[in-house]
Amino acid sequence: MTSSALVEVEKLRFSRGDREIFRGVDLSIPRGKITAIMGPSGTGKTTLLKLIGGQLVPDAGRVLIAGHDVHRLSRKALFRMRRRMGMLFQSGALFSDLNVYENVAFPLRVHTNLPESMVRDVVLMKLEAVGLRGARELMPSELSGGMTRRVALARAVALDPELILYDEPFVGQDPISMGVLVQLIKRLNEALGLTAVVVSHDIKETLSIADYVYVIADGEVMAHGTPASLDVEQDPRVYQFVHGEPDGPVPFHYPANDFHEDILGQGVRS
Amino acid sequence: MMAYITRLGRLGCDLLEAMGRAGLFLVQSMFGRPSAEGFRLWLVQMHMVGVMSLAIILVSGLFIGMVLALQGYTILVDFGAEQALGQMVSLSLLRELAPVVAALLFAGRAGSALTAEIGLMKATEQLTSMEMIGVDPLRRIVAPRLWAGFVSLPLLTIGFSVIGIWGGYLVGVQWLGVFDGSYWGNMQASVEFIDDIGNGLVKSLVFALVVTWIAVFQGYDLVPTSEGISRATTRTVVYSSLAVLGLDFVLTAVMFGGLS
Repeated sequence: MTSSALVEVEKLRFSRGDREIFRGVDLSIPRGKITAIMGPSGTGKTTLLKLIGGQLVPDAGRVLIAGHDVHRLSRKALFRMRRRMGMLFQSGALFSDLNVYENVAFPLRVHTNLPESMVRDVVLMKLEAVGLRGARELMPSELSGGMTRRVALARAVALDPELILYDEPFVGQDPISMGVLVQLIKRLNEALGLTAVVVSHDIKETLSIADYVYVIADGEVMAHGTPASLDVEQDPRVYQFVHGEPDGPVPFHYPANDFHEDILGQGVRS
Repeated sequence: MMAYITRLGRLGCDLLEAMGRAGLFLVQSMFGRPSAEGFRLWLVQMHMVGVMSLAIILVSGLFIGMVLALQGYTILVDFGAEQALGQMVSLSLLRELAPVVAALLFAGRAGSALTAEIGLMKATEQLTSMEMIGVDPLRRIVAPRLWAGFVSLPLLTIGFSVIGIWGGYLVGVQWLGVFDGSYWGNMQASVEFIDDIGNGLVKSLVFALVVTWIAVFQGYDLVPTSEGISRATTRTVVYSSLAVLGLDFVLTAVMFGGLS
């Protein structure tokens, strides 16, 4: 592990009920870079973000952010650390009783003592960046799914955090706003030197902006490397995932008994 | 048989764990540094929880007082004791009916709303995102609601008693013709400030804490699905009603049963 890593995940194990989600995951997320965590649906990518954010507690292993063990911090220290992080939720998770403007202003109002005029400037700048300055008066219930995500992004970066965790930022975006989002994530990283973690299974978009990629499957890191090196990776599981092929070692079907048997089963046999 | 005992043990452990979580939850959210922003949030909740419950509480109080007077009169008049109507109405209300009925109505009106609101915030990840912004939802969402419930139910109970006594006056004096001097005079002579009004208020404070605690905890602790919200809302009303009635017996035994 290099010392320039902002987030280090060491031998992380986590299970939900009887299902083991992570069986010893090691990750290192370098400062100022975009790191992508990819993998098929249901491999616990969102769970991993929640473990990094300290919302879930692992069974074993630890998560270090800037050298601090997230799960050993006191409640107060944990909340203080979270001010330096932003997280974009898959559902957006906007506060439904506040309008778009107030949602973006929320982190500024609770964590700073900025005068109202400055709050306004910051909020409008963030909203302009996601193209929704004109939607500031709308309530979250009036927004489409894609717009919700963009407002949530504006809110996540309102305090200019050091670390941003993106949970599936590209899902449900139309091609135009997808392109804008990809650019935005890239630009935030380049201009402000933010460290970003992008959890996604949109291969093309993610590989185009990521500096380093981890592929997670079956509770382990299956492969990691730069986008270029993953593209030529020979491991058949990685190849199948990166190239999106239906047939291969990673099954598309949830485990089930034989299809023929299931459909024709009892009726025909009798 | 073994399986049965195992289940019983598991149930006990689960119950104990839930109570521990609920206790920790109460302490973490109720006691914190007060702030101007917290006061503003509390005021908003006082409106949502307290003021919005005013109508149902006052209307119910009026009817309960009127029914009490009507029922009391028909019994008392047989003994020629209808002059004691004011005493009977006021003591029943202050000691028992106002704290208990107001708490039951409050659980149904405000408690279920609190559970559903917090539960939906949890289901839509609003609580999680608030945590990630670095704001503790226990302090920002839960604490103002807890304090609002704790303060508003006793006030609502006072309103319930006052309007109930007035309802008794309407029926007893205005309609049934009890002499109003004896209605008020007997009341004044028999109601003790500490023993009756004070004890009634203590009951109501206890109920306020228990009902609001159950309501916000059920919302905060629920399984974030639509079914989970429906179950939690039901549990809020059922648990708070049972807790209020059970605690009322205990408190009555201590306050008026000669145990102390």
